[in-house]
Amino acid sequence: MNERALPNPGWGPLSALPGNPLMWVLILSEMLVFSAFFALYAAERVAATALFDASQRELDPLMGGLNTLVLLTSGLCVALAVEAVSAGRIRRTRQWLGASMALGVLFGVIKGVEYAGKFAVGITPETNTFFGFYYGLTAFHFAHVLFGLALLALVTWRTSTENVETAAAFWHMVDLIWILLYPLLYLLR
Amino acid sequence: MTMLPGTRRLLITWATLMALTVLSMVSARLDQGNWQALPLWSAGLVVAATGFKAQRLLMVYLNLRAATPAWKGTFVGLVVVTLGLIAGGYLAARLGS
Repeated sequence: MNERALPNPGWGPLSALPGNPLMWVLILSEMLVFSAFFALYAAERVAATALFDASQRELDPLMGGLNTLVLLTSGLCVALAVEAVSAGRIRRTRQWLGASMALGVLFGVIKGVEYAGKFAVGITPETNTFFGFYYGLTAFHFAHVLFGLALLALVTWRTSTENVETAAAFWHMVDLIWILLYPLLYLLR
Repeated sequence: MTMLPGTRRLLITWATLMALTVLSMVSARLDQGNWQALPLWSAGLVVAATGFKAQRLLMVYLNLRAATPAWKGTFVGLVVVTLGLIAGGYLAARLGS
């Protein structure tokens, strides 16, 4: 491929990636970190299958599924914001980014309701290994949601094609991690 | 500027992702009152649906289809390895219990 025709000429192997290449380095490293946690979870599950099965019953797959639908729709809004900014439609871009942030906040509200329900019946991160993983993984992911929301707010203020593409890439990574997290914690039993 | 997927492709991808999520929820049978381990075919369906969702998200939402085959392979490969870990851990627990 001709280097000049690439989205980021001059970035070596990263030239072919859309948006800011450094964001892709972050995305790759975040995926590796989560994969390491998933491997640890898998090993612990093999060592304590009965405990993990019993604990998994306490989770509501409907809430997790609802959050998946919310986050995927938010991802669509961000992708449409990228389309809009590339067409020079700044006002429409900000509207899509606003919709995406609203759905991100809804994700947080649903997660908060879920956490509150667990705490109300005395289920905490210290209850057992499974819930240590459940709270640890979902809270770590939620920290990424909050960072993603801050990035989206920033690019809503400083709207440019590169900025929106970069924030969108991070937001889609948050989506991707949740897509993998959902079956691991809620569905595979 | 990269060639973007276009609104139509984005909407089709979104509809596919939503449908696969609902399919995963149903195949994992949300009958909390009658909790039991999933049949292996159902677990396989959940893992396959998850893999396809991740692939669509990478290629369309993240627009990796515009990147080089090496980058596509890197990210899809990482998802496959991650899903392999998830499925392997699940199978080991299921078959060992």
